[in-house]
Amino acid sequence: MTQHTKEREGRREATPMPPPPDPRPAGSGHRAEKSWAVLFASPYLAHLVLLTAWPFLALTYLSFTDYDTLSSPNWIGLDNYTRLLRDEDFWNSLLNTGLFALIYVPLQTVLALVLAVGLNQRLRFMPLLRGAYFVPVVSSWVVVAYVADAVFNPRTGSANTVLGWFGIDPQTWLDSPALVIPTLALVAVWKGVGYMMVLFLAGLQSIPGELYEAAEMDGAGPVRRFWHITVPAVSGTTFLVLVLSTISVLQAFEQVYVMTGGEPGGASEVTVLYMYRQGFEYFQMGYAAAVAWVLFGITLVLTLFQLRLQRKWVHYA
Amino acid sequence: MLATAVALTATSACGGGGDDAAGGDVLTLGYYAEAGGPADGTMRALVEEFTKANPGIKVKIETADYDEFYKRLRTQLAGGKAPDVWLSDGVLVQEFAGRNSLRDLTPYAAGLNLADYYGIDLIKKGDPQGRLFAFPQGAQSTALFYNKAIFAKAGVEPPTADWTYDDLLAAAKKLTRDTNGDGKTDIYGFRAHSPSFVESWWPMVKAFGGDVLADDGKIAIDSPQSRAAFTWMNRAMHEERAAPDPVTTEALGKSQILFPSGIVAMQFGIYARIQTAAQGKIDTGVVPLPKGPDGRRGDLANVNSWVINRAASEAKAESAWKWIKFFAGEGPQTKWMSIGEAIPINRKVAQSAAFLRPSTPPTDRKPFIDALDTADDLGLNPVWSEYTAAITKQVTGALSRRIGIDEALRTAQADAQAAIDRFRPAG
Repeated sequence: MTQHTKEREGRREATPMPPPPDPRPAGSGHRAEKSWAVLFASPYLAHLVLLTAWPFLALTYLSFTDYDTLSSPNWIGLDNYTRLLRDEDFWNSLLNTGLFALIYVPLQTVLALVLAVGLNQRLRFMPLLRGAYFVPVVSSWVVVAYVADAVFNPRTGSANTVLGWFGIDPQTWLDSPALVIPTLALVAVWKGVGYMMVLFLAGLQSIPGELYEAAEMDGAGPVRRFWHITVPAVSGTTFLVLVLSTISVLQAFEQVYVMTGGEPGGASEVTVLYMYRQGFEYFQMGYAAAVAWVLFGITLVLTLFQLRLQRKWVHYA
Repeated sequence: MLATAVALTATSACGGGGDDAAGGDVLTLGYYAEAGGPADGTMRALVEEFTKANPGIKVKIETADYDEFYKRLRTQLAGGKAPDVWLSDGVLVQEFAGRNSLRDLTPYAAGLNLADYYGIDLIKKGDPQGRLFAFPQGAQSTALFYNKAIFAKAGVEPPTADWTYDDLLAAAKKLTRDTNGDGKTDIYGFRAHSPSFVESWWPMVKAFGGDVLADDGKIAIDSPQSRAAFTWMNRAMHEERAAPDPVTTEALGKSQILFPSGIVAMQFGIYARIQTAAQGKIDTGVVPLPKGPDGRRGDLANVNSWVINRAASEAKAESAWKWIKFFAGEGPQTKWMSIGEAIPINRKVAQSAAFLRPSTPPTDRKPFIDALDTADDLGLNPVWSEYTAAITKQVTGALSRRIGIDEALRTAQADAQAAIDRFRPAG
């Protein structure tokens, strides 16, 4: 809340205005207003109840059942959750997802900001360049997988050619247990950075030019201006980008399904792919529901943590 | 996403059947095929022929590609909206039967002479009580494919029915070449690894005397015989380098394009691979799989089959059975044979000259029939997808040399058996 707003609110508190007289008869008008309010809110409420609250409750119930989708759920108490604790494949999928997030989220955030700053210029071909960075965002994962194969194919890909220029041995990229997640994260950044860049561009364009002019007159160079004006001024956008990136990486599915299917040997099996397999391929929807619940819990905790942390570093204008 | 899907399926899971969903007297028929491809076209033509011969039956077709078809089918079954009759991959029959989704076709088939059809015993073997939950539609058995041109160019004698695994490896070494001198192998003698394990490690394990699922329903992969089979594969791929290892196989463009592209001279292939070899204009020959140390070939077969939805009404089940009988007849089987997708399950058609000695390669298709006669099933049970995935994960690790063979087999045995033990039969 800005100082200006606080002052205005302070004045309102100091000289409270009496409420205007209601010309309508008491009671019936108020009820009518309420009915209208409920009517207008009903699509949202229906959506909330049918597509959020009810599925959520059903998911919770099913996570305590053995449910193969073809016969009635059978209550098994905490069995699914205790099985999760012992399930090495589940923990492996969480580990893979965590590693994916650790590479993807910071890399995409930094790269998107750098690109946005670079492209926030009034030059002739800038719109074209911005468009070029946005093309992967609107491309399907199948197309992206073909592009990635052209780069990371161990025999014919350009990545190994480049490594060869520096005398580095060719790598097997998506077929290497050690490199598959970093490679997937790089491809995900390539696909998603354009979208985050647009968010940063919007944030950058709202920074008053006078701030840069004043800093320049005070002798601040481009790096200091970036650190002391740009970075704090877009911290709200940075926070948004961080939250969106974290949530999207925890939900990563399509990319992994299309590009590796969890291979090699489960080294790229992320949690949502693992959940999908259990529910939709192995008829274990109750178990998949338990996985979904745990993943939801992790997402919630991470988001709350980010929200709490933002008070320390996000500056809202 | 999962929450909504789960809730919607749970809401409808215990209700209705295919009955109301199909709408009136329309028989809903589902199958997987590439849209507009030869299989789709032929199937539609046969449906038209069937409805002309049975004017009282109207058929509504539901089709999609393989992955999409099964994804949709599982949801449809949960919601009571599945087709009345559908084409099932043979390996999935027990997954649906074990969860009470299929009709037992034993009484329907009582009026037929079952000896006239291939695959009946293999389907029955999947059910502990020997019931017939599916009826054969088309069969796949495995043979050794070889590229005649590569053999001729290398001056290597073509394979014969007497070949052993030693002969296979010796020939594969001679055929492996770096044709352009860039230090990379351009032609490999053999494709040893494929994610399609019926064309890779499974028949090898059996040929070396091992098994994957024993007759008592227990996992049997952890055995000295399996170890010998995987040791042979690793030798072929990593030591002799006569076959691409799993990583190279993927890098070369996935396992199923290596033979049609002329990158490998030999492969184990199911019957349907004739189509892809023909697309690559390969002059293909086929012989029986090589013999293991005890003379076994490890022949396996998968029988794709028609199944009837348990929730379908009696009347619709009768109509569905008429369709199944129609499809198994000589005329439809001959038409289905012409697209080269499967071995006819009608013995008369499969024994015809048109099938055994066609004018297009491979011109001798008897090895597929011989294999079918002696083949075992692919260890069918209600958790087939899950337990085979658990084994494949470990086996691929061993064949990529990320883990040792002993450790891989031990883990595969435990994980696959755990998947079987977890299953609780419906009802």
